[in-house]
Amino acid sequence: MPKDQKFALLRTHTSPVQIRVMESAKPPLYIIAPGRAYRRDVSDPTHSPIFHQVEGFVVDKHVTFGDLKGTLEVFAREIFGKDKKIRLRPHFFPFTEPSAEVDVSCVICDGKGCRVCKGSGWLEILGAGMIDPNVLKIVGYDPEEVSGFAFGMGVERVTMLKYGINDLRLFFENDLRFIEQVL
Amino acid sequence: MLVSCKWLKEYIDFNLTPEELAEQFALTGTAVEKVEFSGKDIEKIIVGEINDIQPHPNADNLVVCEVNTGEEVLEIVCGAKNMKTGDKVPVAIVGAVLPGGIKIKKSKIRGVESFGMMCSSNELRLGTDATGLLILDKDLKLGEDIKNILGLDNAVIELEITPNRPDCMSMIGAAREAGAFTGLPIKIPSNQINEINEPIENKAKVDILDSDLCGRYAARVVTNVKIGPSPLWMQNHLKSAGIRAINNVVDITNYVLMETGQPLHAFDYEKLFPSIPPSIPPLPRGDTEGLKGGKGGLIVRRAFKDEKMVTLDGVERILDEDILVIADEEKAVALGGVMGGATSEVSDKTTTVLIESANFNPANIMKTSRKLGLISESSIRFERGIDPNGVIYALDRAAYLMQELASGKVLKGKIDVYPVKKNPIILNLRLSRINNILGTDLNEKSVKEILEGLGLTILDTQVEDNDVTIKVSVPTFRPDLEREIDLIEEVARIYGYNNIESSLPEGREKQGGLSKEQELDKKIRNILVSSGLNEVITYSFIDRNHFDKLGLAEDDSLRNTIKIKNPMSDEQAVMRTTLIPSLIEIARYNTARDLYNVQIFEVGRVFLPRKNEILPNEPAMIGGLITGCWFDANWYEKSREIDFFDLKGIVEFLFLNLGINKWELKRITHPIFHPGRSAEILINDKKAGIIGELHPEAQAVYEFPKKVYVFEISEADLILAANLNWQLTEISRHPGVSRDIAFVIDEEVSASDIEKEILNKGGNLLKKVRLFDIYRGGQIAEGKKSMAYSLFFQANDRTLVDSEVSEIEDKIVSRLKEKYEIEMRIS
Repeated sequence: MPKDQKFALLRTHTSPVQIRVMESAKPPLYIIAPGRAYRRDVSDPTHSPIFHQVEGFVVDKHVTFGDLKGTLEVFAREIFGKDKKIRLRPHFFPFTEPSAEVDVSCVICDGKGCRVCKGSGWLEILGAGMIDPNVLKIVGYDPEEVSGFAFGMGVERVTMLKYGINDLRLFFENDLRFIEQVL
Repeated sequence: MLVSCKWLKEYIDFNLTPEELAEQFALTGTAVEKVEFSGKDIEKIIVGEINDIQPHPNADNLVVCEVNTGEEVLEIVCGAKNMKTGDKVPVAIVGAVLPGGIKIKKSKIRGVESFGMMCSSNELRLGTDATGLLILDKDLKLGEDIKNILGLDNAVIELEITPNRPDCMSMIGAAREAGAFTGLPIKIPSNQINEINEPIENKAKVDILDSDLCGRYAARVVTNVKIGPSPLWMQNHLKSAGIRAINNVVDITNYVLMETGQPLHAFDYEKLFPSIPPSIPPLPRGDTEGLKGGKGGLIVRRAFKDEKMVTLDGVERILDEDILVIADEEKAVALGGVMGGATSEVSDKTTTVLIESANFNPANIMKTSRKLGLISESSIRFERGIDPNGVIYALDRAAYLMQELASGKVLKGKIDVYPVKKNPIILNLRLSRINNILGTDLNEKSVKEILEGLGLTILDTQVEDNDVTIKVSVPTFRPDLEREIDLIEEVARIYGYNNIESSLPEGREKQGGLSKEQELDKKIRNILVSSGLNEVITYSFIDRNHFDKLGLAEDDSLRNTIKIKNPMSDEQAVMRTTLIPSLIEIARYNTARDLYNVQIFEVGRVFLPRKNEILPNEPAMIGGLITGCWFDANWYEKSREIDFFDLKGIVEFLFLNLGINKWELKRITHPIFHPGRSAEILINDKKAGIIGELHPEAQAVYEFPKKVYVFEISEADLILAANLNWQLTEISRHPGVSRDIAFVIDEEVSASDIEKEILNKGGNLLKKVRLFDIYRGGQIAEGKKSMAYSLFFQANDRTLVDSEVSEIEDKIVSRLKEKYEIEMRIS
């Protein structure tokens, strides 16, 4: 940290974990890192000043976009059920390329279209992509030698989708009538 | 970005339903907000002509109209006032459906039968005007469906454009994307101008003084324009893009903006200096030498401090040196790239127009837009960065449309000041690299098709060492494509992410797992849950007010917090140094909702500032709180209010399950706890936590109905001391002997100290010590208590004889007598 720095920042997402790990270790890396994240949002049904993310990434020889897809499919099936499908939509994130937003087939209507998925049959669950070669270069890796993928998701969001929870504030109010329902 | 399907068809002849088109956009990277069908519900609303208007016999506010729909003549009762005989209006005939699904039936209004309804634009959801009927063009055919005429047989897709794709903020950009994913060609509309002989050099000149803020400025002059409404098709297109029609010239600039993504501005040429008196001299002057009438000399410069200008929205703006303006010889006439000025606004009387098509610095436009609180269709595009090489096409397109739709005469030539030219960049793309990154097996041909579909030019292909390298020229409208990886992403998204086969990483056979600390953390949570506590998660920041409520001294180290620089409220002002306030808040939240039996714990980090360090220590703590009863009384069992020993029991259970033997509670006084019921938790003689009953004053301040018990332990200390490598101790197969002892002892001596002494003297044969009675009062003197213990002796290898046991018992008693001066009651 620079000497003249006077303030620290509460992290707004868990992606800096990628850099910390890559700066202190060499591939192969297969990492999963949950943690708190902070945003300057007033608490409401879909916002919270504190929430949790899970960051995951892999750096190794021959890691492909297909590997990212396969890994996320395993995750989605484990969390949401064996019959669930996922789809990837191209998106823009600064640290990954190609980047994707990942949808899982709607847990309520199973893809037919309902109010929860706004008729699309899909629910967005996470952002992912291939780690940008510039990121690999900055931490001293050779992007021609190794490649990697990364993904990040909101723990509360995934939980809300899985269990039909419609208000983010429930997680932090800790009303016993809510907590005691958790199995 | 609103994309009308009907309008899009003018650039690309796709054969997809709006839903299919939207899905294709979404799956190739342009997120879809929604698809809206403007005239979805509308049925049987047609063009009718009013033949006759008669007063209603029974109502002064109503009239009875005779309306010809081509097929029949209908009598319709109407409350509007703005129509006259001969007007054409939208008529909802009997059986028609209005937006929102309202059905029109034959009805009787104040005694007169009415066979339908004439519609206002509000009723058709075209606008908010409900004051009168929508009067249609006189040339329309009777009986024609209103949906075709008003562009209501349309679907509008709302696209969410990511910041890296400024080129998609236009219809042609959207068409180019659709071309890439459908493989269809796109049609670029005409800009064939028939220039007149008079050269533009007679009328206008442009100097860019600040080329860091304006990279290109081009202009044309169109004379003899006739201001009037723009044609219906153009109005409908603009409406579908959310833009209000104004007049043909303004509509054309907006239309070309939406079509090409290049913002344009039309100045009323006659209103440029010297027709308006100067504002704040002296200003640098545009060069007017050689210009007819001494006008049309524009300069592009930074504004002066406090220079004033009224923008098209009628607001006077106070400018500064960081804001770029377009100025005539005397004053600012437009905020470059953000909004035009009121003084040179195009009006009904305008005859000569100067069209601006320019390129401005994105960062500066963003700054100006924020500073003035002024966001326009222009500013949002310039902010993202626009292709400077698209300037001329848009300029000519606008001039062409003014020639065609406003009978304008376009002067010969154009002004084009372009100090630093931006050239396409050349990239090499290796086929092997594409397939290595994506995990695909794409061939040269399909990759080239994708690249060309996106408007990229293939310059060369080289084959070397079994690898193909494709040399590509990237058009300047795609500033996001700078590297090979950018092209790989383009190939991936057009090929389709969902067509890429799934696989798993090769290195996956190396099984992952939890570290020792993570395993123990999980175990700790499980132990506490199995003790009957609920796990909670709370915010990391708290209200510093809690320190006062808890009665902490002014210099208590817990008050030394990391402060949030911009807290959203006092409740979230400092990073917590202890979990206890958060647990108290949760307990209060629940007791305030009549949930009195609260038993909770949290494992979370606290934030302890360090001297001369920005980042604090962030140790994880385990906090627990219990209050109320474990269960409410019922027919079978009475209830019991939780006490200190319940919490102590939980802590004991925790230590037992973690294999921690060397721990004890040392009585202390602590400001937040009841003076007689608080202790430090020591592990291996080192302080690891605190436990106690919340101080009666704090209990009152927080308005807890029942006593509250709290503990907080350092998780790192627990993990360090934990020992899960246990070994089985042998079980005796011989009978044991039980002996009871009771004695009177000073009140101050704690049970745990007594037990320690008994165990110490008891040796290997003493297997169990149980305190079964405490008695005070009666024959027992003040300040004393009677304690009764049951001792159980057993040997692994033999049956014990009485004398053996008595010997040990005597040792224990004499030790207690020696240490605490006890008085034996039974023995």
